[in-house]
Amino acid sequence: MNQPTRLPGAALAQELTEAGHADGAHTPFDLVLEAARRGELDEAAYYRLLGRLWVLKRLMYYVYGGWAQGLNVNEYPPSVDYLLSKQLYDDSTHEMVLVDEILRRGLAPTQRAVFRHPNGRFVIASRIGHFVFTLRALANYAHNIRMAALNLGAKLVELAWLERFAAQFPDPALRTLFDGLIAETASHVQMGRFVVERFVEKPVDQELCRRTAAIARRDYLAVLDEIGGQVLGVEEVTPTGHIEIPRGLD
Amino acid sequence: MNTQPEKIAIRIDHDKCTECRMCYVVCREINLNAVVIDPGPKHLHEIDMDRCTYPGCTVCLMYCPAPASIVETVSGLSLVPPPARVWTEDKRWPRRAPRTGN
Repeated sequence: MNQPTRLPGAALAQELTEAGHADGAHTPFDLVLEAARRGELDEAAYYRLLGRLWVLKRLMYYVYGGWAQGLNVNEYPPSVDYLLSKQLYDDSTHEMVLVDEILRRGLAPTQRAVFRHPNGRFVIASRIGHFVFTLRALANYAHNIRMAALNLGAKLVELAWLERFAAQFPDPALRTLFDGLIAETASHVQMGRFVVERFVEKPVDQELCRRTAAIARRDYLAVLDEIGGQVLGVEEVTPTGHIEIPRGLD
Repeated sequence: MNTQPEKIAIRIDHDKCTECRMCYVVCREINLNAVVIDPGPKHLHEIDMDRCTYPGCTVCLMYCPAPASIVETVSGLSLVPPPARVWTEDKRWPRRAPRTGN
């Protein structure tokens, strides 16, 4: 008879998943969705939404390069190497899908123009910058811990708002766009689960996963708060060198 | 007359599958290697029925992010992963036989 194999991180993966679901149940993007459904968002607001999400995606997959170096150092199985490269490919594709929609709607003439526009520009003093640099700092940790932080942290929150946008966003093209991002985001969550279940065993690593995943969720929610404010027009797209970081952020 | 019952097996519905290959990775991880990559031009992945131990193992289903992309061949039902709270380890990782001999 076959012997069941113990999954060292199964309970932790479950715990992180539940925490992600709890944080994803309500996000600052719910206000954006409500405003869109009330017909209060115009094409300029859509440009801010797509542009800022494009910046976020672009920066996220830049981070993976640093992570890949750490992956070799820790000598994980080939499957884990493969999963990271697949995730990099997916997020790169998502970034292209977002900028393609900007161009298709005629909101900008070229991708170069989007790079130069405030909506598409990366600003260091922003919550996107804070989130991305925090992720980048995770390159110092083992890959299982950063996969836990991103994929069983921020990605669960991302999946939650994506599913709501895909179901309820009033603009058909954007609804289809968000729907198209769901499968890969769900795949990233499963990658996180796989890596945590199989490769997070030591109590110290489990505690690090809890802490980093909580930070990733919190920072990602701060990003959604910033982008949501920009889309709704209550916050400037390009801050002038000063950013209010929410209290309690490391 | 052949009275042999048809083997219960699963196949991949490529209309719904996103080719993320989580099933390939986890099946390989448990040493079954029942998910294989088709050498055709699209490099789609398929299930090798000789190696697959379904319904004894459902590890591919547990990690598949695209609902209903795995289909039971006999019933034609699209399989959907059960809620996380009912997962059991012996259904997910049932593979390694105990070491025997010397």
